[in-house]
Amino acid sequence: MASSETQPRFGQSVKSLLSDKVTSCSGDVIALTRQVLKGSRSQELLSQAARNMVIQEDAILHSEDSLRKMSIITTHLQYHVEHSKNLQDQLKHLMK
Amino acid sequence: MAATGDEAAAMESISKAPVPPTDLTLTLTAEPEHKTDATENQKAKRPSNNNDGGVETAEEATEPAEPDINALCRDMFDKMSVFLQGELTATCEDYKLLENMNKLTSLKYMEMKDISINISRNLQDLNQKYASLQPYLDQINQIEEQVTALEQAAYKLDTYSKKLEPCLPCLEERIMMQHN
Repeated sequence: MASSETQPRFGQSVKSLLSDKVTSCSGDVIALTRQVLKGSRSQELLSQAARNMVIQEDAILHSEDSLRKMSIITTHLQYHVEHSKNLQDQLKHLMK
Repeated sequence: MAATGDEAAAMESISKAPVPPTDLTLTLTAEPEHKTDATENQKAKRPSNNNDGGVETAEEATEPAEPDINALCRDMFDKMSVFLQGELTATCEDYKLLENMNKLTSLKYMEMKDISINISRNLQDLNQKYASLQPYLDQINQIEEQVTALEQAAYKLDTYSKKLEPCLPCLEERIMMQHN
C-alpha cells in the first residue's frame, strides 16, 4: 500500500488523487479478504471433509442394514426358544 | 503554481491515513463541505492572479464537486459490503452443508444405537432362557448317547444270536438223547 503517491504531483487534481486513493483502498480491502480466505484454507478442508463424509455414507447405510437384519434374526431366535419352552412344558406334563 | 491554503489543507487530508468508516457508512463533516464550498466559491471564480508583496499567485482551475457525492460514497460502500459478504458466504455455506451432514449422520447413529440396545437386551434374555434350558438339553444329550449305546448292544446281540442259530439243532438232539 504505497502512500508516497498521495503527494500532489504536477497536473494532478485533488479529485483524481482522492479517487485513486479510494480505488487503491477498496482494492486492498478486497485483496486482504481474499488472502484471509485463501490463507485459512477453509475451502480445501471443508470440501475434503464433505468428500470423506460422502465416502462414509455407504458404510453407514450398510451397517444400519446389518443391524436391522441382526434384530430380525434375534426375534426369530426368541420365537424358537419360546417354542422350546412350550415343548418342555409339554414334556413335563407327559412325564408325570 | 503554489496552492492556496484551503487546497493545501485538502491535500494534507488526502495524504493522511483515511479513517475506516464504521458500518460502512460515510459521514462527511461540515468542515470539509465548508471548505469545499469555500473552494467552490473560489473555483467558481476565475483563476485570478494576485500580486501580494510582489509574488504572483494563481488559483488552480478545478471541476466543481458533484452534489450527490454522499449518495455515491454510500452506494460504493454498500456494494463493497455486498461483495465482501458474498465472498464470505461461500465459506458459510460450506460450513452449513457440513453441519447438516453431521446432524443427519448423528440421527442415523442414534437410530443404530437404539437398534443395538434392543439387540443386546434380546440377546441377554435369550442367554438367560438358554441357561434355563441347558439342563434339559444336557439330559437330551445323555438320552441320545444311551440310546446309541443300546442300539449297539442290540446289534451285537442280534449278531450273536445269528451265530448261535446253526448250533440249535445239535443241542436239541443231545437233549433228546439224554431224555431217551
